[in-house]
Amino acid sequence: MGCPYLAYRETGDEQSFDEARAFCTVVDEFVQPMRADICNDRYELAHERHCEIYRAHEGTGEEGSADT
Amino acid sequence: MTYEAFLDRAPLVVTAALTGGVHGKEANPNVPETPEEIGEAAGAVEAAGASVVHLHARRPNGERSFATERFQEIDDAVRRHTDDVIIQHSTGGTGAPDADRHRPLRTDPPPEMASLDMGPLNRYDHLTSENTRALVDSLHAEMVDRGIKPELEVFNDGHRNEVYGLLERRDLADPVYATLIFGPGTLTRPRPENFLTAISDLPVGAQFNTLGFGRHQLPFATMGILFGGHVRVGLEDNVYYDRGELAESNAQLVERVVRVADELGRPVATTDEAREILGLSE
Ligand code: SF4
Repeated sequence: MGCPYLAYRETGDEQSFDEARAFCTVVDEFVQPMRADICNDRYELAHERHCEIYRAHEGTGEEGSADT
Repeated sequence: MTYEAFLDRAPLVVTAALTGGVHGKEANPNVPETPEEIGEAAGAVEAAGASVVHLHARRPNGERSFATERFQEIDDAVRRHTDDVIIQHSTGGTGAPDADRHRPLRTDPPPEMASLDMGPLNRYDHLTSENTRALVDSLHAEMVDRGIKPELEVFNDGHRNEVYGLLERRDLADPVYATLIFGPGTLTRPRPENFLTAISDLPVGAQFNTLGFGRHQLPFATMGILFGGHVRVGLEDNVYYDRGELAESNAQLVERVVRVADELGRPVATTDEAREILGLSE
């Protein structure tokens, strides 16, 4: 399904690219290519479980919250 | 490999890790991502003294790709831009299905070398790259079938146990070639005493490659030079040239380590010498 905070942009964060890249609207930054797999929920990755930025933003990332 | 090899001026194999799969141009705009950019970077590092290029594949937007076809495009570009460099594909890939991890081995011709991660490592806060023994064995089996030399990636001290375990389970062609990796997180803590322990605890006859992450790249490369090992540098592992100063290119990082080797009296291996050292020559 992909993260609701994921956008593909050519500019932002004082950078610009010819090809639109994964951009996280929570932190207003382009994301690392490997993290973009999490943003897109590729393979068996899931933004709700694997992204600490999403979890912190949604209030599900407190200390001790387990991946159960 | 020991200090004696340094004193004997054994040739130094320089590997350049050009692009990686974790970060990209958002971290340093000079990270090559397209096949053409990677090919050009390979030409520049070969001219600077690297005999091996460690390659990952990217989609057009810089994201990771495990597609054989994308590796093929990269290899074709590398071959256009280089004379005789040794191509080493990554088989690493946090989160990627095991089947995808095999795909970089299937180019035509196959790469001369491919990485083989020795075990699990943590990524971000909630992700682990598993690298199970079953996957290690299946990747190794395909490498043997296709005549590919494995580069054993030893991310931490426990992974040295996994190297010995692999040697018990499977026949590895001589010499065993292990990259010792130092840095944060799951990696071996980047301290000189840990480096000395690691190199003294490798299988007899093994060759080692030295990889320090971030600001540890240069000091650990220097230790690798001094203790008769080989070195890996490049923008995959370190996007900076100095504190707060982004590296201009992979070649800039290779040129620096070649200067250090030269000052220390260690000759840099030609690609032919590297093939002989790594057991790649027929
Ligand atoms: S970095 Fe995390 S919060 Fe931001 S878009 Fe990706 S998954 Fe969502």
